[in-house]
Amino acid sequence: MSTVQIDMGGDAGGEADREQLTYERASGRIEEIIRRLDSGEAGLRETLELVAEGRRLVEFCAGELEAVGRGLEELRLDELVARLERGGEDPAPPAA
Amino acid sequence: MSGPAPGGDAPAGIPGSALPGPFAVGAYAERLRQQLRAFARVQVFGELWNFRTSRTTVYFELRDARGALPCAMWRSDFDELGVEPSDGAQVVLAGGCDYYPGSATSSPSFSFRATDLRIAGEGDLLAQVERLRRMLAAEGLLEPQKHLPRPLLPRTIGVVTGESGKARDDVLAGLRRRGWSGRLIWGFAPVQDRHAAPKIAQALRDLAAIEEVDVVIVARGGGSLADLFAFCDETLCRTVALLRVPVIASVGHHTDRTLIDDVAAVCCSTPTHAAEAAVQLDVNAARAALLRETRRLDAHGRRAVLDRARTLVALARAPAEHVARHRRRLHQQLRELRASAKRRGARERDVTATRLLVLRRKRDVAAAERTRAEALLRSDGERLRHTADAATARRRRDLERLELALAAHDPARTLERGYALVADPAGELVTSAEQARASGTVDLRFHDGHVRADVEDAAR
Repeated sequence: MSTVQIDMGGDAGGEADREQLTYERASGRIEEIIRRLDSGEAGLRETLELVAEGRRLVEFCAGELEAVGRGLEELRLDELVARLERGGEDPAPPAA
Repeated sequence: MSGPAPGGDAPAGIPGSALPGPFAVGAYAERLRQQLRAFARVQVFGELWNFRTSRTTVYFELRDARGALPCAMWRSDFDELGVEPSDGAQVVLAGGCDYYPGSATSSPSFSFRATDLRIAGEGDLLAQVERLRRMLAAEGLLEPQKHLPRPLLPRTIGVVTGESGKARDDVLAGLRRRGWSGRLIWGFAPVQDRHAAPKIAQALRDLAAIEEVDVVIVARGGGSLADLFAFCDETLCRTVALLRVPVIASVGHHTDRTLIDDVAAVCCSTPTHAAEAAVQLDVNAARAALLRETRRLDAHGRRAVLDRARTLVALARAPAEHVARHRRRLHQQLRELRASAKRRGARERDVTATRLLVLRRKRDVAAAERTRAEALLRSDGERLRHTADAATARRRRDLERLELALAAHDPARTLERGYALVADPAGELVTSAEQARASGTVDLRFHDGHVRADVEDAAR
């Protein structure tokens, strides 16, 4: 699961407004955006902002799907632990 | 055991040993069987475990906390009982010791040969599991895993399972079914013997220590409760309960319920289902949905701008269109007016023509009548003239006759004939002697003039 953080709120400077983005949050927000756009109630400015936000979220989701669609990568825990014990190497597997 | 085996080919005994022999093992085994069979036949009770069958015999173990017995029962005897004991069931057996001495090619075995069996109740192991479950529940340890957020789409999944078990393939099959091909970290561990629980707990802790691991699957295929007992281990269950990542357990068949199933975030009936529970999202479907959502977003973006641009263009054109619309309306009205006037003119022309026709006809009729009247008049005139002429002639004739008649009565003529008219001085005719006397004087009129005369006897 990615821990990408993007600004979900309107205040670009507020760290408190930044929330951890997950696939479910992103896809849920995309559905909200599309519901809002489908309602036809959003004005031009809001529509363009929602579309831009939606595109960012779609890119994020596409990245998440891409990450689990590149091909199964199988690792062994014992090897990772051994590597850690050998010299304090990062037990985390290298990015695929 | 009276002496060495017959045949005289027994090896020499161990030097210095005070024990009798050596004896041939077969003979010793046979004597052992006799001895064991001579043991008192009794009833024993304990938990029944590892039940298995062959064509002629059923096998199981009878256990309690202090010890165990391997047991066997003729299958015909067992089937007559009509019972289906499950692992851990408390049973009472009747029977006695037996020993199969084996041979050069088959292994010997000891068993308690049961001739009867009665199921007595839930076994100690199950009761122990149940006690542990209640304790964990009371400590609130069944809950923490349930409250951990589970990502729809984990990138890295840890799996704890036996390296050679079928569960491994089942997990892969479940992941394939989801279309998931991310990063998988196998934490292989023994899943059956008494060392299993600590190894499994260690694998779980190691996996949880890897930050990228989003969810862990613990999978093991079916087995008896004794086989699965490692997953009821208290330490293991406490480890799972307090792990930072959600654990999805699939241990044994769906009928089995181990303690790890209770403390885990989710328990599944098969490793395949556990894999599907770990990846809640169907990746292929999600990809298609995302494509649809992208198109909708693009369409909304384009439409938002285009619609408004069209509105602006329409607004810019509005005044001209307004005028044009009015002009069109006026032209239309004008056309209608002309058409109406034309229709009306034509109608009036028709009426006028009709009237003209009528008038002409009337004129012709009047002319004809005038002609006829003139002719009639002329005819009447002629007739009148004829009539008048006749009347004039008649009247002339009458006049002449009257003239003649009148002439006959003319006093002048009378006077000419010697008559005179007597009148008083006033001119009034005196027609009687009386009047003449009264008048005294009379005027006598002759045909040739007047003569005044006095009446003599006027005095009388």
